[in-house]
Amino acid sequence: MIVTFWIVHSIVTSAIQHNGLLKQVLQSLVWKMGACICKDKTNTIDNRRGSNVVSSLMSSETSTRGQQSVQTDARIGTHVSTSSGGWREVKTVDALVLETLSVIRSLVDNEREPPQAMLYLQEVSESQSGWLQMVNSLIHSIPIEDPLGPAVVTLLLDECPLPTKETTLVLCEKMNLNNEEQGAKNQKKFCQIPRNIGVVLGCLAEKLAGPNSIALLTPRVLEYLLRNLEMSLPPVVILHSLVALEKFAQTSENKATINRALQRNSPNQIEDLEKWWQNSDYQKREVGFCAKWCLDNLFITEGHKFSHEAEDLSAVNVMLNSNDVSEYLKISPDGTEARSDASSFESVRCTFQVDSGIWYYEVTIITDGVMQIGWATKDSSFLNHEGYGIGDDEYSMAYDGCRQLIWYNADSKPHEHKSWKPGDTIGLLLNLEDKELKFSLNGQCLSPHKDLFDHAKGGFFAAASFMSYQQCEFNFGASKPYKYPPKDVQFKRFNDYASLSDEDKIILPRHKKLELLKSLKVQEDSCTLCFDNKATHCLLPCNHKGFCYKCSIQLEICPICRCQIAERVNSCDNDDRDIVKLNPTASKKRKHKKS
Amino acid sequence: MAGLPRRIIKETQRLMQEPVSGITALPDENNARYFHVTVIGPKESPYENGTFKLELFLPEEYPMSAPKVRFLTKIYHPNIDKLGRICLDILKDKWSPALQIRTVLLSIQALLSAPNPDDPLANEVADAWKSDESQAIETAKAWTQKHAI
Repeated sequence: MIVTFWIVHSIVTSAIQHNGLLKQVLQSLVWKMGACICKDKTNTIDNRRGSNVVSSLMSSETSTRGQQSVQTDARIGTHVSTSSGGWREVKTVDALVLETLSVIRSLVDNEREPPQAMLYLQEVSESQSGWLQMVNSLIHSIPIEDPLGPAVVTLLLDECPLPTKETTLVLCEKMNLNNEEQGAKNQKKFCQIPRNIGVVLGCLAEKLAGPNSIALLTPRVLEYLLRNLEMSLPPVVILHSLVALEKFAQTSENKATINRALQRNSPNQIEDLEKWWQNSDYQKREVGFCAKWCLDNLFITEGHKFSHEAEDLSAVNVMLNSNDVSEYLKISPDGTEARSDASSFESVRCTFQVDSGIWYYEVTIITDGVMQIGWATKDSSFLNHEGYGIGDDEYSMAYDGCRQLIWYNADSKPHEHKSWKPGDTIGLLLNLEDKELKFSLNGQCLSPHKDLFDHAKGGFFAAASFMSYQQCEFNFGASKPYKYPPKDVQFKRFNDYASLSDEDKIILPRHKKLELLKSLKVQEDSCTLCFDNKATHCLLPCNHKGFCYKCSIQLEICPICRCQIAERVNSCDNDDRDIVKLNPTASKKRKHKKS
Repeated sequence: MAGLPRRIIKETQRLMQEPVSGITALPDENNARYFHVTVIGPKESPYENGTFKLELFLPEEYPMSAPKVRFLTKIYHPNIDKLGRICLDILKDKWSPALQIRTVLLSIQALLSAPNPDDPLANEVADAWKSDESQAIETAKAWTQKHAI
């Protein structure tokens, strides 16, 4: 499970009530700390209030939490030199960002309150200057090496109010888009700022979609992102610039603008980057994967062959299922590699189901952030926007090598493996004879887990969930040998038993798939709710018709008149043999907090 | 995407063929469950002449659960908070699977014509509305000018 978003309002309120006098303390501090403002020319009244809130909030935190936030205490009220960006004001915002980053790793539950630091940032970002300060901190303080860094940028921008058009334009002006320090290309510091700018721009482009996204893609921003696709730059900078362009292209006008700019070169920069898609350097491979995806889905260039037309899949009998995946996950044209660049928690199952025997597959880790890789039945649902994935219900179980957890039923237990790194191999063994699961990291196996079999009896699929900017490759036994096959047990490979028709092997680019879907015709006598099945059932006592059986059992009250349903009758049969008695507990789907 | 339900395809087709006046809803090119929406401020409301952008998302359980809708354009309205979340019964407990994207958007348009400060989401705005309605309407007009035009 990943933490996606909280119901901000209620939580702010409850946090204030929770902490008793916090509100009063804050107010008095706002008065007392009036002097703690940087004398920057850009200060406005608004800005001043922003800084005050930050300082006072930080102080109240120290007063209530004592020694807990050692890292942040030292920074309170520190004035920052304006040399780096020219517009940084209060270092406390940096500290809040870093604290959010440090606690997010341990936050594994949507039900819990969000970290204090995040609540403060929400408050700070309500004013224009506060929001700009926060974005500035995201850009300057999120370190390059933390695998959760980009995900925290996404999370914070998601949690805070959206900027107005005016604010985005101010941001564009103030961002340092020059990369002056060309000499120090490979230094971490050099990567950090352009990487973070890429992440911030991408998130905003996605959030703002429409006129504001068009406004954000100024010629300067576009030139900057395109310049960052230069192959001699660090791959991590190229990657996040490319993903930002991809997200800008979600607005059609931007897509046209980017396409025009790309066509100035032939082959264009992205076509060059696509060559990296099987590079042995994992960072380059990420870039290659994204480039390939962009060329197939967004930046379609004349004369460039779609990848799904070029793949030889004759030896492949099992793939990641492009029809059994949440909507933003990207699957490679050969169906073995997947990646998410969305802020949701994207999941996928493979095409082959197993019900008995002993099965093994392997996964190569490309990125070291949060993924939950394991096994799931079809009953496991992908609630990507709520942050639920594989291991977050009673029908699936997963290994998470970033936070070092095993997930089952949305609950996690720590395991003793160290954190995974790009290039590591995860082994996943499903033993339906002894009813147990085994997970291994580079051949080192954990003790077996049996919980999954309490509810799930058969119909298992290899499955995985991905947090933003995560990628891995699956080996179901088609061509590459396994690196760490279990020695103590006789297992089977999916690829030796599965089969797929040539048609089912084609992973179509999204635009083609949508075209195909939209040309579908709907039958006249379809269920008025789902249009998938025939309308066969009638609700009693109100007698409203036009529903299929599947929909009718999910209803408790009539969708037309809101009358309580007592019976569902098959209106096609004239005799009433086929009466379905009301059983709300069995038919109701699992409910989630977010509604 | 996990086999798009026919219901969504049908609704999308109809939105394209028979658009609703003052409302546009375009599916995202990459995600058929995500719609880019604009609602024109109704005549004789403080939002007149404004173009308000919203996002609408159809969750996996749709139509058994309501679409998620949010204002992206800032708006001064007692039933819409600063994050753009909307307090509207049919989006919550009064949802019915017989309702559609089209009917939801019409309801939102109607909410702009008839703010309801007695069931507020944005408390401060609701208080302002109740204590001095003409001033609140002026503020709403000013916000419309600033953010929606």
